Amino acid sequence: MSAAPRATRRRAPRLVALGLALAVPAACRARGGDPERVTFNEHVGPIVFRNCAVCHRPGEAGPFSLLSYGDVRRRARQIARVTARRYMPPWLPEPGYGDFVGERRLADAEIALIGRWVEQGAPEGDSARPPAPPAFATAWPLGPPDLVVGMTEPYTLRAEGPDDFRNFVIPVPVVGTRYVRALDIRPGNKRVVHHANVLVDRTGSCRRRDAADPGPGFEGMDLLIESDRFEPHSHFLFWKPGAPPYEEGPGMSWTLERGTDLVLNMHLFPSGKPERIQAALGVYFTDEAPTRHPMLLQLENDRALDIPPGVSDFVVTDDFVLPTDVEVLGVYPHAHYLGRDLRGFATLPDGTRRWLVWIKQWDLKWQGVFRYRQPLLLPRGTTLSMRFAYDNSEANVRNPSHPPRRVVAGNRSTDEMAHLWIQVLPQGGAEAGLVLQEALMRHRLARDPGEFSSHFNLAAALQSLGRLEEAVGHYLRALEIDPDSLTARNGLGTVYLERGQIAEAIRELTRVLEREPEHLFARYNLGRARLSRGELAAAEREFRRVLRSEPDDLDALYNLGHVLARRGRLAEAIIQYEHALRLAPDDADTHCTLGHLLAGRGDWETAVRHYESALRLNPGHEEAREGLAQARTRLSRGG
Amino acid sequence: MVHRGPVAALTLMAALACARSGQLELVDLDGRPVRPLSSGAARVTVFLFTATQCPISNRYAPEVRRVYEKFGRRGVRFWLVYADPEETPPTIRRHVEAYGYALSALRDPHHTLVRLTGARHTPEAAVFVGSRLAYRGRIDDWYVDFGRSRAAPTTHDLEDALESVLAGRPVQTPTTEAVGCFIPELR
Repeated sequence: MSAAPRATRRRAPRLVALGLALAVPAACRARGGDPERVTFNEHVGPIVFRNCAVCHRPGEAGPFSLLSYGDVRRRARQIARVTARRYMPPWLPEPGYGDFVGERRLADAEIALIGRWVEQGAPEGDSARPPAPPAFATAWPLGPPDLVVGMTEPYTLRAEGPDDFRNFVIPVPVVGTRYVRALDIRPGNKRVVHHANVLVDRTGSCRRRDAADPGPGFEGMDLLIESDRFEPHSHFLFWKPGAPPYEEGPGMSWTLERGTDLVLNMHLFPSGKPERIQAALGVYFTDEAPTRHPMLLQLENDRALDIPPGVSDFVVTDDFVLPTDVEVLGVYPHAHYLGRDLRGFATLPDGTRRWLVWIKQWDLKWQGVFRYRQPLLLPRGTTLSMRFAYDNSEANVRNPSHPPRRVVAGNRSTDEMAHLWIQVLPQGGAEAGLVLQEALMRHRLARDPGEFSSHFNLAAALQSLGRLEEAVGHYLRALEIDPDSLTARNGLGTVYLERGQIAEAIRELTRVLEREPEHLFARYNLGRARLSRGELAAAEREFRRVLRSEPDDLDALYNLGHVLARRGRLAEAIIQYEHALRLAPDDADTHCTLGHLLAGRGDWETAVRHYESALRLNPGHEEAREGLAQARTRLSRGG
Repeated sequence: MVHRGPVAALTLMAALACARSGQLELVDLDGRPVRPLSSGAARVTVFLFTATQCPISNRYAPEVRRVYEKFGRRGVRFWLVYADPEETPPTIRRHVEAYGYALSALRDPHHTLVRLTGARHTPEAAVFVGSRLAYRGRIDDWYVDFGRSRAAPTTHDLEDALESVLAGRPVQTPTTEAVGCFIPELR
């Protein structure tokens, strides 16, 4: 009889994960010709309904509705002004430098038409032929979500003062692993939310930060999520005004697990009165595990950001050579208030330039994720480049400092950032992503050999690539830089465990637990280390401690069941596996293991039922097939 | 259109204002006529043009409240003015309450005060000394255009104007260009 132990949970590290999602209806062009007399019903109405009404309607981000002739006539002069200046509709990328989904940009002819209409007194036109009123999806454009989660308490945004950058931790009650195909982000009070990012936190690092910060949520413009392993896929989970929810492409679901938090990173804009914000997320699951694994590459050069006061054209660059072929799916350029001209481009091995994005007038308020209509295929050897220009002069009215002061990189709105996130689909399977990650981290380390997160991320990638000795080296380097990082020390412990250096693993994991007794990953891994030495009583103790804090931790349940079985306590073992089965009923291995345990106790009839379930779920389950054959024989002999 | 310098424009408007402002008649939220400049004394009166759905004037609400608290106790009379005839008294009442205004609200559905002062935006301020228009324009230079605002204003035009008139001095810059939502033209 064998109750197979489950594999070590990899719990190997990576820092920095960013999630984002979007898409918008296509911009259209005005009707042809150059009409003498411009009317609402014939000309202006269709333009406004197509481009403006998506936000300018009740409950959406626009401050007033533009759903009728009366609505538009009242604000005609203002509409002419803001469209002429291209303040509205908000759309940052320069046309011709990246072909994006949901471009919301008026043609010059449309803007001219609106201007002429206003000059002519904003006439309605033939009242018998009004334009078709805009139609919008109802509450949930993707249909009722499978799960709705939200902020645990509302947040009150103050009436005035600088923009508020706030993060809210949203726990997600899932059991086992679930695959997500779409996330519908509902910021709750769209008129004061400029954008919202959702990040995936699998280690509870934001929960701990939230607990340390008074009031709902915690402050911070840009969020560094501590991750304890190489994320096999990363997505833009993003909301901006007017953007419909985005459904990931085929095969590109992402995973949610028990204990995973979604962290809502919001840019809030005081409105003049206190505003209550309670965001919600609609989650859409799929049964399909991801088969394609996109990655978020970050070009950045925060180290080079040291902008003297008064300088109006400070340029920061980063260039990275791709080690694999990739498809580029989208970009997310990010700077704060001094950013002026933001460019991203690719230089192919033959020297050809392909534009990723060019924003000539950066405005943090309208930042967003921009997805390509057609993925850009870039061959190995292509250089990805970022060129960001900053204006720290008095002439930049958005300059948060008056008079200007020296500005360096940082997380506050008075600091700056130079980030170009690029979502790519590495061509060549799961390993290509790891190779890419390795190259990117080495690129960062070449610039800054003392950067903790690069060593840490590199170690995690190497660990996943099975290059354990190199991984140990970079974990050790990371821990030299930050000896207090429990995540890195836990990672080091897991590599030792994988290398069979159990004494070293136990030493590192114990150090983590001395500092943080509730570090459940380290606790779990210590249990695994004890188990691999055959120290069953000690292993049992550690798994039970994990389960005391997380009663539904599947891995701990499986392992505790295994330990108990080996200690001959079959009845207790069965309880653990039955508990696991309630949480994850479709697990063939659990059924098979239960079959073995029940057979061991002579309960052949129940054993047969579990073997049959295992085979129903996985017809190729050899162990279950053998078990079933044996059990049937015993049953027939007994009967 | 002939371009006129701001001071010349104000002189012209001020002349108009002197001729008619005493009879200036607006309506309160109950529809009753109000003559805010009829006292005749050299009293300082501030009108603040606002609108229920203008994000810029709404963002100014805390600053308007501060100016009101500072100068209200020095005898300056303040009125909020809603000049869009399509804004109904119940909507305006809700707006006043939501933004915590302690100022009294008036409606200017026929644009009597709009024409008298030359105001075109929300927010925009008009300061009268008795029946004479002494200042018309922006509250400060926080906004420079739609969607472009400073982290904090560098001028305080309305406060400066009020300090001047309370001290009996002429206002240095009697008109300024306000940035905000356009007050809709009457049909």
